[in-house]
Amino acid sequence: MEKPIFDFGMNTTRRHFLSKLSLGVGSAALGSLLIPDLFKGGGGEPDVNELMAGLPHFAPKAKRVIYLFQNGAPSQLDLFDYKPMLNKMHGQDLPESIRGGQRLTGMTANQAKFPLAGSIFNFKQHGKSGAWMSELLPHMAGIADDLCIIKTLNTEAINHDPALTFFQTGAQVGNRPSFGAWLSYGLGSENQNLPGFCVLLSRGKGNGQGVYSKLWTNGFLDSVHQGVQFSSGENPVLYLNDPDGMDRTQRRKMLDNLAELNQGTFNDFGDPEITAKVQQYEMAFRMQTAVPEITDMSKEPESIVKMYGPECLVPGTYAANCLLARKLSEQGVRFVQLYHQGWDSHGGLPTEIKGQCMDVDQASAALVTDLKQRGLLDETLVIWGGEFGRTNYCQGTLTKDNYGRDHHPRAFTVWMAGGGVKPGIVYGETDEFGYNIVKDPVHVHDFHATILNQLGLDHEKLVYKHQGRRYRLTDVAGKLVKGIIA
Amino acid sequence: MSDWKGYVYNIAFFLNGLLVFLLFFESRFAVPQWMQALGRMHPLVLHFPLVVLILYSLWVMIVRKPDSHTWNEALADSLLVIGTVTAAVAAFSGFVLSHEEGYESDTLFWHKWLGIAISIAAVIWYGARKSLLPWTAGAKVVAGAFLVLLFVGGHLGGNLTHGEDFLISPLGPSGEPAQHVAFEEAKVYEHLVKPVIEQKCLSCHNEEKSKGGLQMQTQALLTKGGKGGVLWDTTKVDLGLLISRLHLPLDDKKHMPPRGKVQLTEEEVVLLAAWVKAGSRFDQLVSSLPPQNPIYSYAQNVLGGDRTEEQYTFSAASADEVQKLNTNYRLIKPLSAGSPALFVNFYNRANFKSQDIEGLMPLKDQIVSMDLSKMPVKDEDIKALAKFPELRRLILNFTDITGGNLTELKKLASLRELSLSGTGITMAHVKSLEGFPALRRVYLWSTGIGPQELETLKKGQKIAFETGFRSDTLVMALNPPVIINEKQLIGKGETVAMKHQIAGTVIRYTLDGSEPDSTSSPVYDKPIAINGNLKLKARAFRKGWYGSTQVSKLFFKEGIHVDSAQLITPVDQRYHAKGAASISDGKVGDTERVSGTWLGYVENDFQSYLFFKKPVKASVVTVSTLRSFGSFIFEPTRIEVWGGADPKTLKLLKVITPGVPAKDVPGTENIVYEAGFEPQQLSCIKLVAKPLNKIPAWHSGKGNKGWLFVDEVIVN
Repeated sequence: MEKPIFDFGMNTTRRHFLSKLSLGVGSAALGSLLIPDLFKGGGGEPDVNELMAGLPHFAPKAKRVIYLFQNGAPSQLDLFDYKPMLNKMHGQDLPESIRGGQRLTGMTANQAKFPLAGSIFNFKQHGKSGAWMSELLPHMAGIADDLCIIKTLNTEAINHDPALTFFQTGAQVGNRPSFGAWLSYGLGSENQNLPGFCVLLSRGKGNGQGVYSKLWTNGFLDSVHQGVQFSSGENPVLYLNDPDGMDRTQRRKMLDNLAELNQGTFNDFGDPEITAKVQQYEMAFRMQTAVPEITDMSKEPESIVKMYGPECLVPGTYAANCLLARKLSEQGVRFVQLYHQGWDSHGGLPTEIKGQCMDVDQASAALVTDLKQRGLLDETLVIWGGEFGRTNYCQGTLTKDNYGRDHHPRAFTVWMAGGGVKPGIVYGETDEFGYNIVKDPVHVHDFHATILNQLGLDHEKLVYKHQGRRYRLTDVAGKLVKGIIA
Repeated sequence: MSDWKGYVYNIAFFLNGLLVFLLFFESRFAVPQWMQALGRMHPLVLHFPLVVLILYSLWVMIVRKPDSHTWNEALADSLLVIGTVTAAVAAFSGFVLSHEEGYESDTLFWHKWLGIAISIAAVIWYGARKSLLPWTAGAKVVAGAFLVLLFVGGHLGGNLTHGEDFLISPLGPSGEPAQHVAFEEAKVYEHLVKPVIEQKCLSCHNEEKSKGGLQMQTQALLTKGGKGGVLWDTTKVDLGLLISRLHLPLDDKKHMPPRGKVQLTEEEVVLLAAWVKAGSRFDQLVSSLPPQNPIYSYAQNVLGGDRTEEQYTFSAASADEVQKLNTNYRLIKPLSAGSPALFVNFYNRANFKSQDIEGLMPLKDQIVSMDLSKMPVKDEDIKALAKFPELRRLILNFTDITGGNLTELKKLASLRELSLSGTGITMAHVKSLEGFPALRRVYLWSTGIGPQELETLKKGQKIAFETGFRSDTLVMALNPPVIINEKQLIGKGETVAMKHQIAGTVIRYTLDGSEPDSTSSPVYDKPIAINGNLKLKARAFRKGWYGSTQVSKLFFKEGIHVDSAQLITPVDQRYHAKGAASISDGKVGDTERVSGTWLGYVENDFQSYLFFKKPVKASVVTVSTLRSFGSFIFEPTRIEVWGGADPKTLKLLKVITPGVPAKDVPGTENIVYEAGFEPQQLSCIKLVAKPLNKIPAWHSGKGNKGWLFVDEVIVN
């Protein structure tokens, strides 16, 4: 047996080798033709940061996002997820089979009983899709045909800060880039005279939870992608005016000289933060003319005031922020992030939620209608929702007309409108207790992947290499929710 | 051992004989029930002779000479005999199967006779193998002929099962034509229903193989139906044959498609049912349906969904050119990476010039979308816009156009979407839009067009008009005015100012505690001078709105400066504020926060001295207290004001005894008591206030002691 193998080895000539080699190479080449992406992304590993030329990966449905974050977690069971079973079993204990070992917060872990609490609010079906909404949301009900209501969002966190951070950055720990920063990085700014990512805060009378600047951080991305928080006072952007005695030309000269100095330092040290700084000075200069045009509400017609409600002219209110968000978005701001605090109704929920809905219902609906009548809803994605939901059982004492609800991460409702999501649909189903998802779950990562998709970005390709690892907004998860894409 | 070949050969011979016999009497042959199963084994069996006979034929082709080591006679014989018998079985079963309904066509004719020919020829070949040695030319010819027969017959069989163009259709340009139709142009039958039928039904219901006498290729054939009658009947609950058979359980013999075939998805069944229910029309446009119609949402998924991008036929502009024309106020970008199409957005009204549009001419063949909203675009500029032939979307919201020259845009053959909200266009201009070739959506909110006229537009078929929100008939309540002063202690010469955010709103107010109304109360026009302690109440009014709720605030005339104060009884340690100093620190009336400025008492009475270095002339002492039922804070039951030159010579100047509050008063309020007395010189004032001893029965804390909160004492 040895000999034939030896002979074979001796007789294999260069010709044999080359002819076999050409076959091998040929088959590999044919194989590569059949897998078009083979040498595009994975193989050569070009610098991924370079690849991001500020363009969507494919034709986007939406160009901009307005995220109406309802901070503190609104009760889906009192607004969207109609569960008559809870009213029928009002006061009875939540069956253990339904709870299924769900961990509890420190606030209800010591409760001996988990009495189910039916909503005291009346529900009706609205729009052609027959979406259930409670009487607290008359204006949103009016635009039911524009809304894509997702009843089956679910998250991993059970307390506010991690849940909020998860929604905003794709990770429960801090210091990852925020959603808006990812978009600013992935798509660039549309309007060079305004930041690509703006943050507006307001607070309702209900039990509030904090929001912190870590939620709109650029994380490891360049600091130009950081969210810019607008002040909630009369002047949304402070220190915009030139000081007395300094005119535009002087300011221009000053900036030019400063840029020269900065350029020199950059040549010496090469710190990218220096260029970021120069860019920010330049943008601030242009903002001096761009911002007054946006924050001037006096030109808004009276029909707009009626649409958003009169509060929309009171600075710092949710309604005013919605109106401002529309104006910013209209001017090409990629991501406008609103936070409205006060939804954390652990006790006295019926009273608190009434007040919160008074704050947000009209203005949220108005924003959608307003974008629509300008022909902008198609390219603007509006999102409304909190960081998790609230439990179907009562926290504290349950009475006929008063109850509280604890945090519930397993299923909660978020709606979207415009931006190429299906209008007038209700997606996903929860069980009759409103506790678990029975159909079409949407995890936070899936939610992120889908929104990125609407903006023309492949969530698996929007990456940034930092400290030797490639990061994504969706980490290593996330799949498109095709059922909501129009 | 080699006997088995003999047996097998005999079986093959027998089967072929039977086959020939039946062929003679084919017209009188009816397949017995039990034999049907044999017929249906045809797809299972046919692959054996195909492979085995091809293998044998190829082998024969390459054998050169008798002693060739490639020739193994025993193995070759085994192969041929297996091929022979399986060919016979296949031919026989195929013959039986062809007698089932639904197979009558040219393809079948040829397939049948080729199959029979192969089977018989194989038997003969086996019989003659000894005289037709494989290295002879004759054998090679026979083997070649067999190969041809096998390939052709097999291919025809494949066509019968999978459809005529199954094999080569992926090579053709058609692909999935439905994907490329624009949503607006898509037809329900042609682009939604037909593809489903083609994929899931046509393989058994076509020219060659019309099971149940049904063919489904065309409208005429569908309308004709099959042996079972017409396909749909909307008068029936089950919508007739087609839909009811789709809905039957999979196990049912009549379920369609039959078990084992690719089934329709749930959505496809819903689609077909909705189509039949709506009258199975063959010309209906998807876009004419309401969005909630199941057909519409199906179409969204199939046609509009999932990254279908418009295909642009023009070539891309040079990146340098695009870069060159980009400014801070004019953004030009491709729609996405690799797309030749560009969109343009303009920003900042003050920087806009008409030339900015003209300046884009080098990119006129690439620009598909332009957003000029809020720019001072004039009617003349429309002519420049008409020079961009590829424009699909044009946004002119809140520009200065008035509608003149709008017809110039008719030249734009691809213009689909035109937004004119907030411009001065009139109905006549809108009418002229109807002749635009591709226009589908127009936005007309906040234009000069009246509501009735807009109503008439909505009936238009081709163009969808978005008219937006109208406020004319909507009446809602104003928000209350804002009292600007934060401080409630008003010094000499200071005034109180108010405002309302909606310009031109009327504020009416009262100072005497009465409710302001829209007719008789004074109109606020300048800051109000405050003289004495009073409550300002104000409401806002405006035409077309309901009056606002009331806003109110207590104001106090600034008192005589207190040089020092001293608490006689200790304050509760939880609510001690800054101790005695809090009584005269000017901070008053904050009902939002109870800690920090309020002194709280529950066990003790409130008792304190106020000292003046020089005697002051005083006539009234004002005490500010808090009521907050929720926090068990009540007004005092008794207030005593003592005065004199020093703490030892005090006289009782005034006693006030407020009653126990009822349930229906406001739950949280700043309550102020004014104790007036004869004007006199005083250096020391002692104040006593007693908390509620027993909370009344209506309160949840009934029987307990109530809290007393005091934040300021003012001497005038």
